[in-house]
Amino acid sequence: MTERRVTFTREQIAAYAEASGDQNPIHLDDDFAKTVGLPGVIAHGMLQMGILATVAAEEAGGPSRLRRISVRFAAMVVPGDTVTFIASRGAGERLELTAVNQKGEAVLTKSSADIA
Amino acid sequence: MTVVAGRTYPAVKFEIEPERVAVFARAIGVDPDDGVPPTFAAVYSLGVTVPHLFGDEEAAVDFSRLLHAEQEFEWTRHPRVGETVVSRGRVASDISRRGMRFVSFETDTTDAEGGPLCRSRALFVIRS
Repeated sequence: MTERRVTFTREQIAAYAEASGDQNPIHLDDDFAKTVGLPGVIAHGMLQMGILATVAAEEAGGPSRLRRISVRFAAMVVPGDTVTFIASRGAGERLELTAVNQKGEAVLTKSSADIA
Repeated sequence: MTVVAGRTYPAVKFEIEPERVAVFARAIGVDPDDGVPPTFAAVYSLGVTVPHLFGDEEAAVDFSRLLHAEQEFEWTRHPRVGETVVSRGRVASDISRRGMRFVSFETDTTDAEGGPLCRSRALFVIRS
C-alpha cells in the first residue's frame, strides 16, 4: 500500500493552474468563485487526480507501468483541506484507489488503475 | 443547443517541452527528472482538444454550468519528453435527461508516426 497525505494550499492550486493551463477563475479568484455559488476557490479535480496517479505510480513500481487510471470527482477540495490518497493492490493487475478528506468524505470515488 | 454526439474535431499537434513537464511535475509534487508524469495527459491530450468542444457554438456547452464529473486516461505507451504528439477529440455521446446534459468527450493521442499513446475519456455534466 502506498499513501500520501496532502494539505491543499492556494499556492499549490495556482501552480497547477499555471502548469496545466486551466486558469478557470474558480481556482484562482475567491470573489469570482462566490459569484458561481462556491465557498471560494476550489482545487482542480485534475490536480487531485494528478496526485492520486503519482501514488498509484509509486505502488505500481514506476509511472511507466501505469496503463489506465479513472476517477469520479465526488466532492470539492478547498485550501486547507487535507486529503489522504491511497493506492493498494486489488485483484490481478488492478489497483484500488481512494482519496478521503479530513472529515472522512471521499473526494474521488470509483477510482482504480491498471498496471502493466 | 444541438446534440453533437459523433462530432469530431481537428487534430492538434503538441510538443512535450521539458520546461512544461518540469513545471507540471513540481505542481503535483513529483521529481521533474522522472519523465513525463502520466496525468500530463491532462495537457497533451484532453487540454489541447477540449477547447474545440467548449468553443463549438452549436454544441453550446455552458461553461459556467459545467462540471467535470469523471476522467479516465488509458495508455498504450507514455510519451517521452521532447516528443511531438497529435490529439483528436470527439464527442462520444451527448445525452440529456432530467434537466442535466451528459457529454462524453474522448481524445485519442498518437505519436508523430501515428502510433497510439493515450486515450482520454472525460464526462462533463451541464446543469440546465
